[in-house]
Amino acid sequence: MNESYPYVKLFGLTFNLTNDLAILITATLTFLLVFWLSRKPQLRPSGKQNILEWVIDFTNGIVKQQMPGPEGNRFGLLAFVLFLFIFINNQVGLFLQVDVGGKTWFRSPTADPVITMTLAMLVLVLSHYFGVVFKGFKGYLNGFISPVPFLLPINIIEEFTNFVTLSMRLYGNIFAGEVLVLLIRQFAFSGLGGPTSFIAGFVLEMVWQGFSVFIGSIQAYIFVTLAMVYTSHKVVSE
Amino acid sequence: MASLGDMLFLLVAFAVLMVLVGKFAWGPVTKMMGERSDKINNDLDYAENARTEAQALAEKRQAELKNSQADAVKIVSTAKQNGEKQRQEIVDAAHAEVATLKSNAQQDIAQQKADALNSAKDDVAELSLAIATKIIGKELNADDQQALIDGYIKGLGDVNGTH
Repeated sequence: MNESYPYVKLFGLTFNLTNDLAILITATLTFLLVFWLSRKPQLRPSGKQNILEWVIDFTNGIVKQQMPGPEGNRFGLLAFVLFLFIFINNQVGLFLQVDVGGKTWFRSPTADPVITMTLAMLVLVLSHYFGVVFKGFKGYLNGFISPVPFLLPINIIEEFTNFVTLSMRLYGNIFAGEVLVLLIRQFAFSGLGGPTSFIAGFVLEMVWQGFSVFIGSIQAYIFVTLAMVYTSHKVVSE
Repeated sequence: MASLGDMLFLLVAFAVLMVLVGKFAWGPVTKMMGERSDKINNDLDYAENARTEAQALAEKRQAELKNSQADAVKIVSTAKQNGEKQRQEIVDAAHAEVATLKSNAQQDIAQQKADALNSAKDDVAELSLAIATKIIGKELNADDQQALIDGYIKGLGDVNGTH
């Protein structure tokens, strides 16, 4: 991961092949995993169906915590896919990073701010859209001057800070984690202390990867939770 | 640097992923979860109903048991009363019959006694007449004699203090 990526220009748009490849792979992985887990669902669940139902209950729990009413039913699928997608996004780069010819070809897509900002944008645009759907355009606009009208500027600023914090938190955590993975790898192969540095680096790398799995899971959880908090602010009428 | 292409790619990929997951995994599994919760609800309702029904049946059975006990007591006491009544009737009938028989017998006896007395009176009259005829050799008018004899015998009876 050296901040040098293969770019392709197509239809006047610039594509970062690293991101696109990783997104394609993680999306495929997510789908295959879920597809495999959901084969032959039964009334008495067993084995893999239990895993899938546990995840569904988990993400439904996140949604219901913020939106206990009937509004929450609309966001179950979004929360589920968002959680699994970000979770797998966070994890893939920990175990597989490909550098070829001085360019990075594979790493976590969420280690790129553009990707996390797109995800945050997606969530916030959806929250605004469903705010209009559930409360009407007038109710949606009223949300900006509540509880008191002079808070209007602060409410508008909040929309931007929500966007920035949601995307940057995820990006920062995953990017930092992967940079450290790379640094430890360089330390292990630096040959500073001969085999000692290799062994120390190996152990450190394992520890850091384990910790990063934890961070990646937590960040996926936080992202989905905050996405639902922001959505509930727009959707639920007090 | 910032690539608009990546944003579009991610949005499209995410949308497609969401559609596919919804169609192939989320849909069937959540449907199954819904069916399961429905089934559990139904089963609970069914069990509750069955329990209430069983309780109602038990209460009904208890009440019927009580009723049948009361009925049995009533039947036995009625039977006792009937038996007592019947016995009384039989005894009364027997008493009545005995009384009838007794009175009949007394009547018969009295009748026979009277008959015997009458016939004895007639015999005595005829005998007396025959004796008198023989003694005085004179045939008396039978009817006059009869009256005379009756008067005489009546006098005898009065002296005896009977009749």
